Amino acid sequence: MEMSGHENEDVGFQHRSESILNCPSSGMSTTHLPEKVSGMTMSSLSIFKPSNGADPFFASAWDPIVSLSQSENFGDSSMVSHGELSNPPYPVVLENQGMNSTSHLVQYPSDSSFVEMVPKLPCFGSGSFSEMVGSFGLAECSGIANTGCPPKYTLHKEKATERASPIGAQSHDGRETEDGGIGSSSSGKRRKRALDSSSPFSPNKNAEGEQHKDLSGESSDVMKDHEEKKHKAEENTSGNIRNKQTGKQSKDSSHSEEAPKENYIHVRARRGQATNSHSLAERVRREKISERMRLLQELVPGCNKITGKAVMLDEIINYVQSLQQQVEFLSMKLATVNPELNIDIERILSKDILNSRGGNGAIFGFGPGINSSQPYQHGIFQGTLPTVPSTSPQYTSLPQTVLDNELQGLFHMGFDSSSAIDNLGANGLLKPEL
Amino acid sequence: MDKTSKGIQTLSTHCSYKTKFAFRFLRSLMKLKKQHQPISSSSSSSMELIHKRSQRIKMLAYSSIAHAAGPRRAWSRAILFKLQSRARHHYFTRKRSSLDSKTKQKKILKNKRVMRNHNIIRAGSTSRVTRETKQMKKLREIVPGGKEMDICSLFDETAHYVKCLSMQVQVMQAIADRFSK
Repeated sequence: MEMSGHENEDVGFQHRSESILNCPSSGMSTTHLPEKVSGMTMSSLSIFKPSNGADPFFASAWDPIVSLSQSENFGDSSMVSHGELSNPPYPVVLENQGMNSTSHLVQYPSDSSFVEMVPKLPCFGSGSFSEMVGSFGLAECSGIANTGCPPKYTLHKEKATERASPIGAQSHDGRETEDGGIGSSSSGKRRKRALDSSSPFSPNKNAEGEQHKDLSGESSDVMKDHEEKKHKAEENTSGNIRNKQTGKQSKDSSHSEEAPKENYIHVRARRGQATNSHSLAERVRREKISERMRLLQELVPGCNKITGKAVMLDEIINYVQSLQQQVEFLSMKLATVNPELNIDIERILSKDILNSRGGNGAIFGFGPGINSSQPYQHGIFQGTLPTVPSTSPQYTSLPQTVLDNELQGLFHMGFDSSSAIDNLGANGLLKPEL
Repeated sequence: MDKTSKGIQTLSTHCSYKTKFAFRFLRSLMKLKKQHQPISSSSSSSMELIHKRSQRIKMLAYSSIAHAAGPRRAWSRAILFKLQSRARHHYFTRKRSSLDSKTKQKKILKNKRVMRNHNIIRAGSTSRVTRETKQMKKLREIVPGGKEMDICSLFDETAHYVKCLSMQVQVMQAIADRFSK
């Protein structure tokens, strides 16, 4: 249900973002918006900075969001809400320290349009915060000269591209910019103002506006704290995930598939969830842990149907213990075996060992140096347990052949004495580990 | 983070892992075999001998897999460190060959362990003892080097460790089959 809600919000958001895109008073066409907006945002950022500390509402007519615009699109209104809700007491970046300007811009509350933009707080997985920010930043580009603000707002790029489709809410945008200028006067309760102002102000805003209001309230805290805290990029994965999800959800034509290159984690509070910074961080942590659990689940055979952390952990522990017991058992077996120091045997043994998984086809299609590039995992993991016969040789045959070739090459290098073994061993060991 | 999943997925290099492990293990096995005489009878002494040898082979196997995995992984580093400290301990005890030194060494090691555990306990333990925490404790004991990791990296290391362990078992099985034929 949350997802559906998000989708709805996303849809609404898109409309909004589109409107915002068209909004800039500069009258740029939506297609050209991103560039111009970014330019403007840069300038706006620079302008905004000094005033940031004192009064978040910048008196100028430009939009703080502009600064955010690194992205091409004004994708998410979330940025708007983000900006608005950040109160003056926290002039600091909502997002990231790199994004200083954006945060300032975001604090530009007066823009009613932004308030409405805020709408949804996509769930962590579904939308990247950065995306929203980015889209937001682009929204308002007042005609401020580009002062060359450092384009750190990488986030926005993807968001803008994903969300902002050129919809002609130009009039709307124009209004927003004006409001922005006016909004600076208010202090403190930016959030409320935004909310209030947004209500009358949303021509395109549908019922989601209310949702957005709620969300904006939540999101601001979330975003703000989150921004301050997270700088680093685990984001790539999460960003990618969010990117994809937003891509799916958004109906804009310009959904770019570019992965956001954020350097920090954007987390958005889900609707109805606590927006405390601690709980947000908790949620991020939990997501990471569950992701790792999923990976482990794939590794441990027969755990596809298990759902639940505790049971899964039990399985993992059992599996690791059984593997270790197998190693012990095999070492005992090897201890009892009479050593055969025949070199030929070792050579054959190596072949067997490396080809133990399965029918090794005599395909000599690969050179010796290709081994690491082969998708070896399947072959390896299928026959993890010795007792489990490998039933899918097709996976293993390819890498096996590669390895085999390599080994054979090595073997043929003059493997006729024990010194050759050392060479082999040295070769094996001298390979770059990772 | 992406690095984790990538790091695990690109265990491609499982191919090279396998090779490295196989070579190293075989080499060390050969050395070991040369040193020891084949077991002829199954007397009690030979049982002890077998047990001893199996322990050594097990250590060889873990050392091989740790070297094959490289120092990039926490668990392989932990294994190597443990082996090295143990070797050092043995070296010292053999050199001195006195009870005092042995006990001293043991005490030192024990203290280190205890201190480490205390640090871990102080570092961030929650008082909540749930079934999950017990499992986590157990997992930490099982995975080498897991005692001082946070949960996230613990899972990451566990995944990599499981991969390498399974590969190790596979190779050892093949070797044992080969030898026993």
